[in-house]
Amino acid sequence: MLSVFKSIPTHMDYKGQKLAEQIFQGVILVSAVIGFIYGFTIQQFGWTVYIMLAGFTISCLLTLPPWPMYRKNPLNWQPALPETSGETRDKPQENQKKKKHK
Amino acid sequence: MNTVLSRANSLFAFSLSVMAALTFGCFITTAFKDRSVPVDIQVSKVMIKNVDDFTGPRERSDLGFVTFDISANLQPIFDWNVKELFLYLTAEYSTKSNALNQVVLWDKIVLRGENTKLNMKDVKSKYFFFDDGNGLRANKNITLTLSWNVVPNAGILPLVMGSGHKSLAFPETYETAKSY
Repeated sequence: MLSVFKSIPTHMDYKGQKLAEQIFQGVILVSAVIGFIYGFTIQQFGWTVYIMLAGFTISCLLTLPPWPMYRKNPLNWQPALPETSGETRDKPQENQKKKKHK
Repeated sequence: MNTVLSRANSLFAFSLSVMAALTFGCFITTAFKDRSVPVDIQVSKVMIKNVDDFTGPRERSDLGFVTFDISANLQPIFDWNVKELFLYLTAEYSTKSNALNQVVLWDKIVLRGENTKLNMKDVKSKYFFFDDGNGLRANKNITLTLSWNVVPNAGILPLVMGSGHKSLAFPETYETAKSY
């Protein structure tokens, strides 16, 4: 069952990771400030905790799954070299070495 | 931050740090408040007996019986950092053998959200008012005060004495063979 979870793609590119971190830090700080002011106004600390938990849930939904906005700057990998041209380059070098030994 | 677990770890740790900062903020806004309110205590019946005290070193000690009324408005003490109040009524006096005696006669827990106007009439003491010896008889000055322990959500637990006290005197003679 675990292999099903491991096969779901969850990667983000680097700019996406930075964006995700900024988003969740911003959401949690904003919900903390709102919660503190509301709790102080009605003099119940329980509401501060509830608003913080709501901010935590919102930022989980926004940043944990790999939304498309985090994949806008993919890395440009070089194209892979084909296998056959590598082998032919090795063979002429070996012939040259044998001639020098004689 | 490449995997879900690493992002979740970072998110959760940040939330906990912010939560700790909010709790500290809650403590700072209420740390220096004065939590004393005026208290009114009246005494309706005072009696004294001389009985065997099995917890003390001597044969017989004085046992006092006090019936009292307490009224106080505790609403100004409750704020967003107070979880409950532990009230206790103390009797303070001095005798020939001890300079200072303090005995707790009665206590009560008031939770946040319960009725905060305290108006109790004809309350008998919850705990025995034993003296360390025979110093209660004809003692002219026994002071009753109501104090409380403030239990906060975050911070220090102060012991606060209410303003207002009642002095009473015990009679000269013991009651004999009379049920309370």
